[in-house]
Amino acid sequence: MHLQFFLLLAAALFCIGVYGLINSRSAVRVLMCIELMLNAVNLNLMAFSNFLDPQEIRGQVFTVFVITIAAAEAAVGLAIVLSIYRNRDTVDMERFNLLKW
Amino acid sequence: MDFASLAAQLNAGAILPEVLVTVTLLGVLTIDLVGGRSTSRWTPYLGIAGLLGALGALYYQWGQANPTAFLGEFNADPLSIVFRGLVVIAAAVTIAMSIRYVEQTGTSLGEFIPILLTATLGGMFLSGADELVSLYVALETLSIASYLLTGYMKGDPRSNEAALKYLLIGAASSAVFLYGASLLYGLSGGETRLAAIGAALSTLTPQTASGAVIALVFVAAGIAFKISAVPFHQWTPDVYEGSPTPITAFLSVGSKAAGFALATRVLVVVFPSVLEQWHFLFAALAVLSMVLGNVVALTQTSMKRLLAYSSIGQAGFVILGLVAGTAEGYASMVFYLIVYLFMNLGAFTAVVLFSLRTGTDQISEYAGLYQKDPLLTLGLSLCLLSLGGIPPMAGFFGKLYLFWAGWQAGLYGLVLLGLVTSVVSIYYYVRVVKMMVVKEPQEMSEAVKNYPPVTWSLPGLRALQVGLVVMVLVTSLGGILSNPLFRLANSSITQTPLFQAVPPSIANSRL
Amino acid sequence: MLTLLILIPLAGSLVAAWLPRAWAVGFALATWFESLWVLQQFDLHTPGLQLLEYQPWLPQLGLNYSLGVDGLSLPLVLLTSTITLLVLWGAPLSIPPERRQLFNSLVLLATSGVMASLVAQNLLMFLLFYELELIPFYLLIAVWGGQRREYAAMKFLIYTAVSGILILGGFLALGGLSGSLNFDYAQIHPEHLSQRTQLLILTLLLVGFAIKIPLVPFHTWLPDAYVEAPAPVAILLGGVLAKLGTYGLVRFGLGLFPDTWHLISPGLAAVASLTIIFGALAAIAQKDIKRMVAYSSVGHMGYVLLGVAASTPLALVGAVAQMVSHGLVLAFLFYLVGVIEVKVGTRELDVLNGLLNPLRGLPLTSAMLIAGGMASAGIPGLVGFIPEFLIFQGSFSAFPIPTLLAVLGTGLTAVYFVILLNRTCFGKLDNHTSYYPAVTWQEHAPALVLTGLILWFGIQPSWLVSWSESTTAALIAAINL
Repeated sequence: MHLQFFLLLAAALFCIGVYGLINSRSAVRVLMCIELMLNAVNLNLMAFSNFLDPQEIRGQVFTVFVITIAAAEAAVGLAIVLSIYRNRDTVDMERFNLLKW
Repeated sequence: MDFASLAAQLNAGAILPEVLVTVTLLGVLTIDLVGGRSTSRWTPYLGIAGLLGALGALYYQWGQANPTAFLGEFNADPLSIVFRGLVVIAAAVTIAMSIRYVEQTGTSLGEFIPILLTATLGGMFLSGADELVSLYVALETLSIASYLLTGYMKGDPRSNEAALKYLLIGAASSAVFLYGASLLYGLSGGETRLAAIGAALSTLTPQTASGAVIALVFVAAGIAFKISAVPFHQWTPDVYEGSPTPITAFLSVGSKAAGFALATRVLVVVFPSVLEQWHFLFAALAVLSMVLGNVVALTQTSMKRLLAYSSIGQAGFVILGLVAGTAEGYASMVFYLIVYLFMNLGAFTAVVLFSLRTGTDQISEYAGLYQKDPLLTLGLSLCLLSLGGIPPMAGFFGKLYLFWAGWQAGLYGLVLLGLVTSVVSIYYYVRVVKMMVVKEPQEMSEAVKNYPPVTWSLPGLRALQVGLVVMVLVTSLGGILSNPLFRLANSSITQTPLFQAVPPSIANSRL
Repeated sequence: MLTLLILIPLAGSLVAAWLPRAWAVGFALATWFESLWVLQQFDLHTPGLQLLEYQPWLPQLGLNYSLGVDGLSLPLVLLTSTITLLVLWGAPLSIPPERRQLFNSLVLLATSGVMASLVAQNLLMFLLFYELELIPFYLLIAVWGGQRREYAAMKFLIYTAVSGILILGGFLALGGLSGSLNFDYAQIHPEHLSQRTQLLILTLLLVGFAIKIPLVPFHTWLPDAYVEAPAPVAILLGGVLAKLGTYGLVRFGLGLFPDTWHLISPGLAAVASLTIIFGALAAIAQKDIKRMVAYSSVGHMGYVLLGVAASTPLALVGAVAQMVSHGLVLAFLFYLVGVIEVKVGTRELDVLNGLLNPLRGLPLTSAMLIAGGMASAGIPGLVGFIPEFLIFQGSFSAFPIPTLLAVLGTGLTAVYFVILLNRTCFGKLDNHTSYYPAVTWQEHAPALVLTGLILWFGIQPSWLVSWSESTTAALIAAINL
């Protein structure tokens, strides 16, 4: 199992996340894509840590931090989505156009 | 080993200012929890006091022999001290601005201040972070707290929308930044400390150097989001317009200063091996920001949106100092950020005051204000003229220093573009001044006609008044008497070890 | 000492914002006395800088507080203080009392800035006070001006701001490329730059100052600004601010680039004659007397440029004298036009008629207007003759054709003034509408003072000329080296 496979997988997941981020109509789906992107980075870090840094495993430590922060971000994100849902009764991204050019 | 020797070994004294801010944060939170709503009359002042205490601690940290702390995670060198000071001052003035504002909207001040202090903490740690993990954690602390602050006015749909936009775009940008950071981790063979990464990258062969450029692009995208450089600026006008105005002020100054600290440290330490590439990339960002920020600001009718686009343009000027690559260039960047802090916060304080009294944000509603509120008119005019670079205000000297440093470093095109866009910016700043000062009494807007009598007795308005007066005084006199600021900016660069390899300036020796 | 020249108007500006008009006039009077004191201290026979002051200010930028006066700036300092005093004295005629304190304050602030620019010996200090003028003058036009004042004021602001950045670009290039430690004049030595670089920087500076003076084809902001501004502000614009442009032209163009000056002077002479002819022809075509005087101002600045371009000692002395003369005559004309506008209520040539009528017209005003027209046309005995004569005499040897065109321009000046005077002063008053309020002696006073000055300098021109003789001779000698 070469390093490149993990990196390719991570890159593919990252790209899927970006694609979903740009194209999603639901705010919750966008949040999921962001989580996907962060997990792709985690894969990257774990792979590098395993192959390049087996002694100090800094990458794995970094991964734990990223998972924690991603969870916090998701919590805050869902709270904001909930708040917007209470006011606007929708989470459709196309409908959020109060702030214009 | 006991706590004291551990703390000494880790050089924990370097984060004393941050500890003070944390203590203040916990204090405000606890007091609000225990004491209830009535304590919100004085907890803001406790917050400001704590921040000023942190500022004092920063002052004492200057010139320490050993600034590295926590085994290389945090660096308390003079550069980080200046940027942490900027974030702290921005937070203090924001609290002063928000006392009355939050009261008037009916939301609770007791949670507002801890979240703002959390953002401040994130900004402070970001200015001194010297290692990928602490960098990311600090960045996210600042960002997540900012998302919450943007959406604080839960009843206002614009605030909600701004928070959602900010969150989604911000989270995506930090994911992109993180991807670049992971590539750096891999390219350097498993290093996370910035200095070690920089050293490892400089030993790359030309084939693998392209990996460094890819990492640079990802990292630059994350940085450009934070400093709202074009084309990563799309969130700025919407978020600035939708947020509560004091938070807009904090974002435009404190968050941006932290972003520039991040940019400086990462680019100078990690990427000297691809120096031309990142100079080129950021020069392009500077050009786009200066042009787009200033040109689009010409068409704005909302004051907050105008200030948002103006801050994009100003960020373009500051990037010019970053790209110059000489000690003069970095010093001019620091100097301009200090001056920008005061003039931008002054302008926002005046805007907050106006919106508290009239409830509107439209520029046309400012017509004829000199009749009803001369202090506000004078304050806002001086701050806007300073932003436009009119002497004798501090903004003129800041721009002069930036252009002089850029010229000496050979960035003739960027400097000429900066000069031209400065003239463009004068037009839209003077337009607001014209509304306030030039319009006749019979041309007064509805809002000004119904202007409430100017009183300062309501709780929190005194803080606004003090904030406005202090900001305006520094802006007007800080240019003429700016020698101390110049020396501060210069010594923050020359005394910081990471700039030792940087040439002082391309021209002959200067004092 | 020279710092007082800057500080007194500045202090007056802060004081006048709250206190009555008498204070503002008092500060202007104090400035005038200070400038007289500087004249008295000045040694007319020494060519170099005198009354030097130096204080390091912002060494990081190379900006130092460096002052000095020589024969080039001294006449302009005296002109500025005199005109400011007369403007503040005569302001109540055109400025309503509601915001007069702000007006006085802005005028004194502008004066302080002009004084500082004239005596500054550091490039950045000059630029700082040059840019300082932008907002006071913008407000002066925009708040108290005529119908289209906002448009005219914004046009003025943008043009002058562009002029400022062109000059800043030139200064940055001078500082950066000539390898000096700071921006003090004494430290700037562009001689060892390549001729191409010198030409480039010189062109930048010239275009910047050409917008300020203004010269054709950069003059398009002037008619709107001068016409929409109230009379006192128009006097300041034409009498004081325009001189800053010509001062910069001589000090930085001629003064810093003696080697390359001869390369561009033919072009400058051509622009000068173009400006003179265009100004005169445009003035002939006008129907509004204020606009006519504005174009006259454009034309007469062309004489200054011709003298500077010719760069013979006689021509340069004439140019400096013309700066002063133009300032005095323009102030005089605009003031009288202001009186007519306020008392009669119109500026249209087609409507005005017969103001010399001793019973129901404005006889003294019209008589002074005739004197002003004669002075502007260069009739001997009044201040306008000697400078123009010196310029013609000095430039003919260098640029015969432009000089001849300039002489033609003088003739054309007489044409439009005759049109003006014929229509306005002579003829029959319309009995039905001519109930004009009387002009009081207080309102006449500034114009009478200016009449005295115009006559005085016309009869005794050596006082006008001798101030600048040694400095200008030294400047020309540097060119011919």
